[in-house]
Amino acid sequence: MNRNEVSDKKLVSAYIKGNEEAFELLVERHKNRVFTTINLIVRDTYLAEDLLQETFIKAIKTIKSGRYNEEGKFLPWILRIAHNLAIDYFRRDKRYPTMVLEDGSSVFNNLDFSEDSFESVQIQKDTHDRLKQFIEELPLVQREVLVMRHYMNMSFKEIAEVSGVSINTALGRMRYALINLRKKITVNRSAYDKNLYPK
Amino acid sequence: MTKTFTRNDLIRYIYQETTESEKKEIEQELLLDNKLFEEYKNLAEVSMELDRVELCPSEKTINKILNFSKAINLHSA
Repeated sequence: MNRNEVSDKKLVSAYIKGNEEAFELLVERHKNRVFTTINLIVRDTYLAEDLLQETFIKAIKTIKSGRYNEEGKFLPWILRIAHNLAIDYFRRDKRYPTMVLEDGSSVFNNLDFSEDSFESVQIQKDTHDRLKQFIEELPLVQREVLVMRHYMNMSFKEIAEVSGVSINTALGRMRYALINLRKKITVNRSAYDKNLYPK
Repeated sequence: MTKTFTRNDLIRYIYQETTESEKKEIEQELLLDNKLFEEYKNLAEVSMELDRVELCPSEKTINKILNFSKAINLHSA
């Protein structure tokens, strides 16, 4: 049986019974999505690694203590944990996350583009490294809605409830987030073209 | 045709949160309104780009998580 065909629910059940391989598969399946969500909120790769660890440890403790609600879905549940930890950290410390240094902690090294040619990998790396930077530059309220809708798959209704704003406000923030990203991408492309084709 | 939707509804359309009747209404308007279509195209493109941002944690962190789980398992066995 294909490992990808096993549902999260079955994996969690197996893990509750002590099957560590089931947990490994869950981690392997969802680590990137959870890490991306955290990283885009806190904008610091080192901190995101710590919070990823904290997220899964919290999940392990909840599952192992029998408090996990099997009716729910694993991914939305763990994304909520990750999001809450990231936002808690961000708000509690009122700390503006540090810039990532170019000493191996660069996001460049962490982007996942394994299936393409070297050239296209390089172009994608350039483009997506910048896109990540553009997301990080968005105001927190816009970034938060964008992460919740796009990477956590929450509906605008859910986002409005969690954020304590109206659905229209959540939609407006998402719209401005996309508009701002579009502007940044356009400016970036035109600068790139000028460098490539100088007059 | 009277417009009954707002720019925010375009966002709901991009994220597939509209009802069937809203969807039809927006799609009809997109065919008639070039400016609206341009906005839709631009925002939908950004949304598609976002799908491609995927970050990977280090193996070290993943190993720490898996080791923690194994330790808990041993402890509770």
